[in-house]
Amino acid sequence: MTVTAGVTAAPRRRTRRGAAFRDAGPPVALVVIFGIFAALSPQFRSVDNVQNIVDAAAVLAVVTCGITFVLMMGSIDLSAAGVMGAAALTVSLLVANNRNDNDFGLLGILVAVLLGCAFGCLSGLALVLLKVPSFMATLGVSAVGLGVATLLFAGVQPNISDTMLKGWAIERFLGFSYLTWIAAACVLVGWLVQRYTRLGRYAFAIGGAEEVLTLSGVRVKPYKIAVFALAGAFYGLGGVMVTSQLGAGLVQAGDGYDFSAITAAVVGGTLLTGGRGGVLHSAVGVLLVMVLTNGLVQVGVSPYWQGGVEGLIVVAAVAAAVIPQRRRNQVVK
Amino acid sequence: MSIPVALQPATVSAKARPARRLTGFMPIIALAVLVAALTVADPGFLTQRSLTAASRTAAPLIVLAAGATLVVLCGGIDLSIAALASLSTVLLALWLPDLGGLATPVVVLVATVIGAVQGTAHVLLRIPSFIVTLGGLSILSAVALVVSGAGTVRVVDDSAVKWLDLYVGGYVPMSFAVAVVVVALIALVLRVTPLHSWISATGYSESAARLAGTPVDLVKVGAFCVSGACAGLAAVMLVSRQFSGGPTMADNLLLPAVAAIVVGGTAITGGHGSVWRSLAGALVVTLLRVGLPIVGVPSAYEQILYGVIIVVAVALTLDRSRVSIIK
Repeated sequence: MTVTAGVTAAPRRRTRRGAAFRDAGPPVALVVIFGIFAALSPQFRSVDNVQNIVDAAAVLAVVTCGITFVLMMGSIDLSAAGVMGAAALTVSLLVANNRNDNDFGLLGILVAVLLGCAFGCLSGLALVLLKVPSFMATLGVSAVGLGVATLLFAGVQPNISDTMLKGWAIERFLGFSYLTWIAAACVLVGWLVQRYTRLGRYAFAIGGAEEVLTLSGVRVKPYKIAVFALAGAFYGLGGVMVTSQLGAGLVQAGDGYDFSAITAAVVGGTLLTGGRGGVLHSAVGVLLVMVLTNGLVQVGVSPYWQGGVEGLIVVAAVAAAVIPQRRRNQVVK
Repeated sequence: MSIPVALQPATVSAKARPARRLTGFMPIIALAVLVAALTVADPGFLTQRSLTAASRTAAPLIVLAAGATLVVLCGGIDLSIAALASLSTVLLALWLPDLGGLATPVVVLVATVIGAVQGTAHVLLRIPSFIVTLGGLSILSAVALVVSGAGTVRVVDDSAVKWLDLYVGGYVPMSFAVAVVVVALIALVLRVTPLHSWISATGYSESAARLAGTPVDLVKVGAFCVSGACAGLAAVMLVSRQFSGGPTMADNLLLPAVAAIVVGGTAITGGHGSVWRSLAGALVVTLLRVGLPIVGVPSAYEQILYGVIIVVAVALTLDRSRVSIIK
């Protein structure tokens, strides 16, 4: 009896230690990388630059918040770029701007977020009803979003003159821009949704074992659609925030954010296979990516390498997460 | 006893056949409908001049889609083809002055090696192919930006790639002819060697293929090599047409290429499909691209159309019997 108890206890302890290591890894890496760059560059460790990093992380944090829920389910979302473009154009045409006489203020922002939500819904419906794999469905939805944005753009760039939306990027509260506080609020909301609502719990469970969940009588489909809709709403808000930063609505508002967000989430410890990670993990991942890209520029690496560094990180992080299960997973598509 | 056993699969396949047959002819039907519609909208469309122009536009897309089709047949996806083609245009434009005629094979070789690296990473590290190639997309774009200094690289002396601008028999653009030859070559090699059954076995059921002794890993790396080589060749075609290389020149070909593959009827789940289907799919996509302005639709709808086409075509060709859970 003691032998069997020992046998069952050993792997459990190991997995727990593995999980603890996985959870502690990204924050430790963040501190280490921050320390290295701070030692290398006096420019990097200035208070101004730290504020810079946190402010620059705001939009990515919001987008990553959304994508984290999708990744937790084991799906993937490539639609951020398109949805953000469409939301950026929508909001810039609805608040005070140089193209038309609209001045809806907050209502315009709400409409843009809801539009993002609708796009997310579309991805979810394509996944659940048409059974199109999520990376294809969201690739399609991204193209649709970019098309809608191009239609709204209509060749003339809408510059916003709404003081509130413009102020978000400029005015500061306790040293950080309003956008940063909005992002912090988003992370908090995301964490509460993940921790205390059925939606967040089921997103985890779908990623962990969808079959078991279905067999236990849970109707998975509505929750899948809801998760994509939630993610879409976050992208919509991200598009609004980019518009506030640029002072204009651009089709390319979300360029690169989809991939950066996946990188941040994966680096933070959210597995692509689903069922692990979370919003707080991703927040750490966002800071890690921002510190790395900012630090490399401060050290003198060309900013053009940013995408390349992200690409390397994501491949390395996914590979590191997969190595423990290599023997079990013979089939990888 | 043997009769019901024999009958059962027969009835099942008979039931599945009409749908399968419809999706099988989908690209040809779409092509015919498109040509007919465009001819009605603009009687001048079915002339030799506009057809020549359309086939010339289609050539790089055909080559890109044909290469990536092999990866899709294995059950994976290659999202890096467009970025790899962009990088190759930059490399070709930079190397043409020094290497001259040798630049073309060297660029295709480099692209093949990059494809091989991605395939090896996918196979050895067991990372899903879309994440490897998404990472590859990002890295290759960064390299292209750095190498080119984020600007267009002009080609002053294009004599080494000029042959692609010639016409075969006075009518057929050389680039289109080369594209068709490439597709035919891939199809021929697949047919006369065991490769075809290896690839479809890998796509249909990887674990079964592995147990049956198929060199699954080699097949996958090979597919990525061909995909890379085709991206390099597409880059040569682009440079010969535009007299320059750019770090984002081919980036907008990713969606059309994926659309061409799925419209052709190659199942995204792997196994079912062929390079000929992608040729037809690429022609459909090109006709849509050329045809929208003829019908009077603003080109902004093009993107929306690609998105809808991809989702609908994948939904139609997906083999639902094999995957119970779709992520």
